[in-house]
Amino acid sequence: MKKMEIEFILNGKKRKIEVKPNDLLINIIREDLYLTGTKYGCGLGECGVCTVLLNGEPVLSCLTLAITVDGKEITTIEGLAQGDELHPLQKAFLKNGAVQCGFCTPGMILTATALLRENPDATEDEIRNYMRGNLCRCTGYVQIIKAIKECTSIKNKGLTN
Amino acid sequence: MKQIKYISPRTKEEALEVLQQEKDRACIVAGCSNVLPNLKDKKIAPQILVDITTLESLKGIFKKEGKILLGPLTTINELISSKIILEEYPVLTQAAREFADPIVRNTATVGGNLVTASPAADLAVPLLSLDAIVKIESLGDKREVNLINFFTAPGETILNSHELVVGIEFKQSDINKNGCFMKIGQRKAMAISIATLAVNLDWKENTINQIRIAAGSVAPTPLRLTGVEEFLKNKKLNQELIEEAVIKVSKEVNPISDIRASEGYRRYISGILFKRAIERLAN
Repeated sequence: MKKMEIEFILNGKKRKIEVKPNDLLINIIREDLYLTGTKYGCGLGECGVCTVLLNGEPVLSCLTLAITVDGKEITTIEGLAQGDELHPLQKAFLKNGAVQCGFCTPGMILTATALLRENPDATEDEIRNYMRGNLCRCTGYVQIIKAIKECTSIKNKGLTN
Repeated sequence: MKQIKYISPRTKEEALEVLQQEKDRACIVAGCSNVLPNLKDKKIAPQILVDITTLESLKGIFKKEGKILLGPLTTINELISSKIILEEYPVLTQAAREFADPIVRNTATVGGNLVTASPAADLAVPLLSLDAIVKIESLGDKREVNLINFFTAPGETILNSHELVVGIEFKQSDINKNGCFMKIGQRKAMAISIATLAVNLDWKENTINQIRIAAGSVAPTPLRLTGVEEFLKNKKLNQELIEEAVIKVSKEVNPISDIRASEGYRRYISGILFKRAIERLAN
């Protein structure tokens, strides 16, 4: 099948790669670019584990054709930490025991990143509503919500905690 | 694996030319939330993917001369955040808020939800209740179809393979301003509907001037319950009338039993959804 070259920014770095028209973004990220933090779950858009940020918005990489990200910016879980310094959400997930098997964690953290950028003062209801598409089969969500809540703005913490 | 080509037309005209040339061999892709699972399950086997996401002219929500025009590439999240939709066509905002989950809503499009023609298409129901018109173009030709006549069977519409949906239009009116959408699913997120129902109501001094009722997941296609609408027109709205209409709603829907619910439950719950919707609008 004829390959086409695409160029996009992945975690702040320009990448050029050849893809087939029906290559899924998740397969390119995991198998061609070796970033295996992004997980493959249902492949149908039900579970949210393959979430990446496309121009800052959470999208499902299993339902995105790689060819369509030409010229765009992708952030995966590998792109959040600054060197050895973890992202505040990553720290909060660790601190609160929000990670058990860890399979949903990359998607959870990326969706939560987008949520807090859009709505730094998110209430618990708003967090639960925004995170609806990310499923976790281990934690029962309580610690996850707690971790995200800890990263909301100071103003909000004073009001709700 | 079979060869698949990919094209990303730069203009609508170019897209129409490709469709004219390739017809059944082409598959239009935008949000991909239906197309990719279908490709994977080999339910479809296109030879060329026509990616229309770059066609700016098919995006956006436009107000003009007492009407609203939705570009088919408008995403569900764009609908949710539109102030004019919330104020003038709340039934659509309500449905969009129930649609899949926030991640899918970033890419799934209004046009995609209609052309996929699932009996459970959550946006088809409020758009039917808003009496929407679908604008369709092909190379050198255009036509308009009321959404009532758009769906023909599960997964099928009147759209020919060389045609493209270029807009969805509905009027600014009192009835469109007063709407309510109800959905029953197994859980709050990502639930495929067991039944959905939308009501738009125009009434004065307790008398129904006009009412539109649409339902989803309760027939081979999303549908308008024109029989109940006719029955209610010009009648005084009271509890007795509502109870009568509830029975008529249960009779007019045409559901099947499937993995999500039985036919009997769907008939029953459609009536209940109607009751809840009309009571909310009347209060």
